[in-house]
Amino acid sequence: MDITKKRRRIALGCEGSANKLGVGVILHEGDLSDPSSCTSTVLSNVRHTFVSPPGTGFLPKDTAHHHRSWFVRVAQQALTDAGLSPHEIDCICYTRGPGMGAPLTSVAIAARTLALLWNKPLVGVNHCVGHIEMGRAITGASHPVVLYVSGGNTQVIAYAEQRYRIFGETLDIAVGNCLDRFARALEISNDPAPGYNIEQLAKKGGRVLLDLPYAVKGMDCSFSGILTRVEELAAQMKAGQGKGPDGEPYTAADLCFSLQETVFAMLVEITERAMAHVGSSQVLIVGGVGCNERLQEMMGAMAADRGGSVYATDERFCIDNGIMIAHAGLLAYETGFETPIEESTCTQRFRTDEVLVKWRK
Amino acid sequence: MATDSTVEFPCALSLDIPFPDARLASVALQALRVDKELSHLVRRDLSVATPEGSTDPTVLRVQYQAATNRMLRVAVNSFLESIALVLEVQQELDVDALQSRQGSAGSG
Repeated sequence: MDITKKRRRIALGCEGSANKLGVGVILHEGDLSDPSSCTSTVLSNVRHTFVSPPGTGFLPKDTAHHHRSWFVRVAQQALTDAGLSPHEIDCICYTRGPGMGAPLTSVAIAARTLALLWNKPLVGVNHCVGHIEMGRAITGASHPVVLYVSGGNTQVIAYAEQRYRIFGETLDIAVGNCLDRFARALEISNDPAPGYNIEQLAKKGGRVLLDLPYAVKGMDCSFSGILTRVEELAAQMKAGQGKGPDGEPYTAADLCFSLQETVFAMLVEITERAMAHVGSSQVLIVGGVGCNERLQEMMGAMAADRGGSVYATDERFCIDNGIMIAHAGLLAYETGFETPIEESTCTQRFRTDEVLVKWRK
Repeated sequence: MATDSTVEFPCALSLDIPFPDARLASVALQALRVDKELSHLVRRDLSVATPEGSTDPTVLRVQYQAATNRMLRVAVNSFLESIALVLEVQQELDVDALQSRQGSAGSG
């Protein structure tokens, strides 16, 4: 049946570009000829995270192994939570990229198998567009500048003429990658996520703000130099030689606090620059680092100064998940987009502005 | 098979994987042939074959040729991990498997 004629449209989405494996089912209801009347409902959102030991990061081979081991269980739970059987699903969506090669491919293989077994079309989705569309759907933000910040990505995005255009981005590593690698230097636990534990530890800091490089370059920013410096400070502290500006020894909490304050201020600056450029007063923060309440607070202060506000989602949606892939995939499918099985490859590099956002004016 | 390629890729392995029916063998073939081999020193050929005494193509045949034994081993191990996933998805998430799970789980 022609999808554009159906009043209830359902997609299953599969995500595994980093260490989170997610499967979710979404329902779109309403007449597509009147898009503003359509609603989106999350029917299920199941996730399992591969956590590596403290002091280590997650490697592609082990992550792919984790996703292969957990896919069936996570998918079964997603179907059970949604209370659906395969024939009620209209399409299978999967993350085409960007992300880590082996993990992406392991999930794509499972998604292709489902599509073939259930005889459903397949839709390849850009991971970043998934985050953006889910953020828009959950928060209702109408015309925001989007700050997409995670372990793998750091971009400032604004929508114009059917593209999510990148106004600013990291010139080297993502802000989340900087935080995650710093966590390794201090052997901070990766459970539930290194960034979360840095945030909690940072709350105990604040006595001193240690001097770290501040690397905003026009509309872009850079984090690898900051990482080098903060790793140096961590090593000095471990060697008993770390002294703050007041001559007193600084602690891990002081390092966490100082790192957050520095990198978040940089993100606020490049976001504000894009807002001025575009004439928007709304900010939508998406991606795993968007869960950070200090970042939300700092961004909120800047937005309020400009007469605007910050929109953010909770950990169900800002951390990588399958429902955002289902949602963005279904939006694309409703415009007639589909990925033939033979073309359903994955790619580690997939620019956000490569996607034609046909479902928006 | 051209003699040139056996000289360049002297290490070879062929696997025949039986499936319960032609449909499942075909699903596996279509799901697994999409991704290219990561190394240009490895060649992979995937097809379905009809076993002796049968009329249906229920066997998935994979033929690997590689430049070294190590590359062959790495490629085959990786393939086996992927096909194990395909098999598990077929076993647990096929339409009939989900129906019988729902049936035994009861209502509510």
